[in-house]
Amino acid sequence: MKSFACFLLVVVMPLVTAWSQEATIFKEYQTVYKIGDQQEWASKEWDDRHWEKRMELAPDGQLFWSRTRIHILEAPESLKSYGLRLEVYGEYEVFWDGVLIGKNGNPGREAELPPEGELWITFNIPIELTNEGEHVMAIRLSNYYFPDHVGNYDLKIANYDALLTDQLIQNSWMNVFAGAFLIAAIYFLFLFLSNKKEYATLIFSVSCFLFFSLTMTHLFRTTVPIHYSLHVIRLEFISSLMLGISFLIPLYFSMQFPYPKWKLFLAVYTAILLYLFSFELHLNSYTILNMAFSLLVYSLGISIYGVYKKVKGALLVLLTLLLCVVIRHTVSFNISLFVGFILILLSMLYLLSLRIKEQRLAYENSLVQSTRLRLQLLKKNIQPHFLLNTLTSLIDWVEETPRKGVLFIEALAKEFDLFNQIEEQTLIPITQEIALCRTHLEIMEYRKEINYSWEEEGIDLSEKIPPAILHTLLENGITHSLPLADNSIKFKLVFESNSTYKSYAFLTFAAGVRPAANDREEGTGLKYIKARLTESYQTKWDFVSEPADHGWKNIIKIYS
Amino acid sequence: MNILIVEDESRIAKRIERMTQAIFGHRLHSLTHINNLQEALLFIENHTLDLVLLDLNLNGDSGFDLLTTAVSKSFHTIVVSAYKDQAISAFEYGVLDFVPKPFSRDRLEQAFNRAVAKEKIATNVVKLLAVKKRHRIQLISVEEVLYIKGAGAYAELILTNGKKELHDKSLEKLEQLLSQTFERIHKSYLVKMSEVKEIVVQSGSKYFAELKNGERIPIGRTKYKDIKAKWY
Repeated sequence: MKSFACFLLVVVMPLVTAWSQEATIFKEYQTVYKIGDQQEWASKEWDDRHWEKRMELAPDGQLFWSRTRIHILEAPESLKSYGLRLEVYGEYEVFWDGVLIGKNGNPGREAELPPEGELWITFNIPIELTNEGEHVMAIRLSNYYFPDHVGNYDLKIANYDALLTDQLIQNSWMNVFAGAFLIAAIYFLFLFLSNKKEYATLIFSVSCFLFFSLTMTHLFRTTVPIHYSLHVIRLEFISSLMLGISFLIPLYFSMQFPYPKWKLFLAVYTAILLYLFSFELHLNSYTILNMAFSLLVYSLGISIYGVYKKVKGALLVLLTLLLCVVIRHTVSFNISLFVGFILILLSMLYLLSLRIKEQRLAYENSLVQSTRLRLQLLKKNIQPHFLLNTLTSLIDWVEETPRKGVLFIEALAKEFDLFNQIEEQTLIPITQEIALCRTHLEIMEYRKEINYSWEEEGIDLSEKIPPAILHTLLENGITHSLPLADNSIKFKLVFESNSTYKSYAFLTFAAGVRPAANDREEGTGLKYIKARLTESYQTKWDFVSEPADHGWKNIIKIYS
Repeated sequence: MNILIVEDESRIAKRIERMTQAIFGHRLHSLTHINNLQEALLFIENHTLDLVLLDLNLNGDSGFDLLTTAVSKSFHTIVVSAYKDQAISAFEYGVLDFVPKPFSRDRLEQAFNRAVAKEKIATNVVKLLAVKKRHRIQLISVEEVLYIKGAGAYAELILTNGKKELHDKSLEKLEQLLSQTFERIHKSYLVKMSEVKEIVVQSGSKYFAELKNGERIPIGRTKYKDIKAKWY
């Protein structure tokens, strides 16, 4: 977490500083408008006091003028003329103190001529016209395609060369990040394709791709000239990308820090997003601002819940989101949007790496667990209680009735052989398991001199079962039961299956069967069975072991 | 001899029975086999026994429950078990011998000899003495015992905290078990030698062992020489 925080600092600081160093060298006053066309309106001295302060509509592509008084606070150094960058809807001519400094399309003739001119354009202002003091920028323009978009959407005066190059420098930064996120998107997409259960990876990949697209669309205007008539398409595209990101990020956090009824909350949130998206599409920055705000508020809520529930990584996400709030209030909206997304995506990446680590550990654990189970199975046959008691009985049989002793040895050999065959496997045929139980009974009969019998009912010979789990139940049954009056104990295995589950009932018919409450062996035996069931069926099993009228009853259910 | 065999494996129980009969012959007064813990506990309470042969794992029950009861009794206990790793704790509880499975007749006979010949077992360190209270059995650490005084068929344990506890075993049997740290200095006294400060001789050839707490315990006339030779 510490290294991640350091990394954030390294990434964010240059970005913020690169974007925030802008000294103001001019002051812009109220822009005024007038429909009509007179060349005198370009002049600096023209009296525009009666011009309109607002113009809602300039219909039919007719010509109109706008005049903006600008105070230059600082004259340019010699040889470093100022430039003027405009974002104005329409085709126009620009006059600076009455002097025509540039042309962007054909004002007043848009209907007859093909679209010409760009939405963003930079003009050079002659150096002799930018001395300290007041100046007038007059624009003669027509707005055929968006008559309701009148005004200077952006106006900036700065060193002409800097205006051209700053954008490129900014772009290079943005390109670096866009590229990084494109690679991340591809990498995590491949990761998802190799393991299709990991939806978090897919969501992260798509989020990265959307962010990459957002960045590229944003940069688009500086790399490719766009006519103002096409601009709405770009804005709609940006809004759509924003919609996607605003949906995916909370979805991702909801999956990482699950909270009660999260699907319902997410549905409500999605409805709000769609409403924001459909509402006032043209007031683009408000749509984006609202979506970003909703995204931030919702994600903050989720991460606060995550921190409350002590989910790993939630605190970092919360801090990152709070950092986003701080950034939002220190730099411009556009910059905070990009920096914020970069931070959020990095925190998502951090969460993903945490989960990947958890999965790796879980996998390693499962390997260890499997090995442990194998060893436990192996140990069954050589644990002192079984082996030494068997050998003691065996010695006695050999000494007393050698012929029976040989049969005893054969039974023992058979059980060892069966154990050998199943030792490496996680599932074995039920027939093998039954053979193991029968052999074990044979051995125990020699040892305990009790008449053990074995019955089966409804066994499906093609079924498979984890190794030695019935054997373990049998061992417990033998250990904890006393024989009936006729010196016999019966074990019965009943198999049932239907569309939802398969069940094995293992029944003991004996007198005085008791659970041994604090018995170590019983404990490990049941643990072994449960671990084996988990290994093969994960959570889709059920195991009950309880007393019954006839003795004891164990039921293993395996759900399909 | 009255002997009880507690063993849940019928074949092994028969083997022990057969060998016991062969070893003791006509000296054997009674021989009983019980295959579960509950019955065994009941039997011990209601019968007079000289020796109990005990398996440490009975139908999944730990034989230590029975062991605690058994060692608090007047008879000696011999454990016959496959769990060799439990031998040390069994000895600490005060069993006379631990016969690991599988066993031969010779090994069993050796264990019986210990009981019959009142052989002292110097190799094993008894750490606990089980004392029967009204409804339970209390384990007393041997470290807390200063000396033991014979009281007929019983023995009185005198503890460092001044308390006295009655043990069902005779002084002879306790001497057998505790011979490593305790010495029979008198026909009625078994004393922990590490507690003895000095030997005091009084007029008329009266000998006393003075303990660190100042208490004086008589030393038997016949024992004096041996003790002096062994400890000083």
